[in-house]
Amino acid sequence: MVDELGRWAEPGLLVLASLADGDKHGYAITNDVAEQVGVSLGPGTLYAALSRLEERGLIEGLPAEGRRRPYRLTAAGAAELSAQASRMQRLATLSLGRLRMASA
Amino acid sequence: MTGDPWLVRALLACYPSGWRRRYGQEYAQLLCDLGVHRRPRLIVNSLRGAVHARWEQGGFMSTRSPMTTAVWATGLFTVAGIAFQKLAEDLTGAAGGVYVLLVAAAAVALLALVAAAAPTAMALLRGRDAGAWRYVAVPFAGAAAWYGVLRLALLLSQGHGVHSAATITGFALIAVSGIGLVVATAWAAATVLRRVPADQPTRLRPAALVVLAAGMAVTTVVAVIWGARVHASDPTVFHGDHGLLATPFVPSWIATIGLMAAASVLAAAAGRRQLAATR
Repeated sequence: MVDELGRWAEPGLLVLASLADGDKHGYAITNDVAEQVGVSLGPGTLYAALSRLEERGLIEGLPAEGRRRPYRLTAAGAAELSAQASRMQRLATLSLGRLRMASA
Repeated sequence: MTGDPWLVRALLACYPSGWRRRYGQEYAQLLCDLGVHRRPRLIVNSLRGAVHARWEQGGFMSTRSPMTTAVWATGLFTVAGIAFQKLAEDLTGAAGGVYVLLVAAAAVALLALVAAAAPTAMALLRGRDAGAWRYVAVPFAGAAAWYGVLRLALLLSQGHGVHSAATITGFALIAVSGIGLVVATAWAAATVLRRVPADQPTRLRPAALVVLAAGMAVTTVVAVIWGARVHASDPTVFHGDHGLLATPFVPSWIATIGLMAAASVLAAAAGRRQLAATR
């Protein structure tokens, strides 16, 4: 279900990124990731990521709204997302710079 | 969840119970929101998620006690070991002392299992569960039935060539009924271990299960070395045509080692869980 972006579309990272702008429940996360990144997270993949992130304390479940439970990014989750995004940004900058030099 | 479509309930049922208690309601809602009944890819993805959840929670084995897992691992190892013995019966001395080491490691594994099961055996002898005795009869009755199949197979194949249909049928009968005997014995042993209340010395069972896994692992490694040595000393053996299991030799050898390795991994998982349970 993680397509095209390969390892950069690691479900846990996508979930953290989705929760970075506010609390969301499973369906909202799925829609947000599909709209913003173009990756369709299947339900099994999503909940495997949610349970892993929750277990590691990177997100926390909030009181359920009906049958939908929103999740929130914790401080540790925000720090993890920031570190991962910085690393990806450095790699992207390096890669694009070198590609430009090679084609010049 | 009872009002959900049957497909949602079925997909949810694939997850372990602990997972369902925590995520069941919201997951069922997500499946409904996604319209899973119209999207086969999501069904497959949900099933994959269930496998993952069971694996993560140790759910494939968590419903069984470590001892039960160890018993089934031993059953698998026994099948592999008998196949290996059949494979190696004409070549036991071909790799020097390696074969003796293999037998010794397997014997250590067996003794470890006996040690782990000893408290239950003692409790059974003391009559803590009289009804459990009928399970003890299973391996004996099974062995008698298997002996009958063996005699029938010998009768069938008598006077026929090694690769004749009669001999292959006879061999298949012996193999299938033998595996059935091992499965029945493992089931009976696991049932007795589950039923009979025994006082477990704190350190005996975890230590015994660790030794069991180590014995199986050493046996597996030695079986690999044995095959390599046999091949080095006489490569023609690998292309022999002298029997059913030994023809072809290499696939049989690899298959038996694969089964031994799988049994070792299972036993190691049982040992790890038993250690964790006693901490």
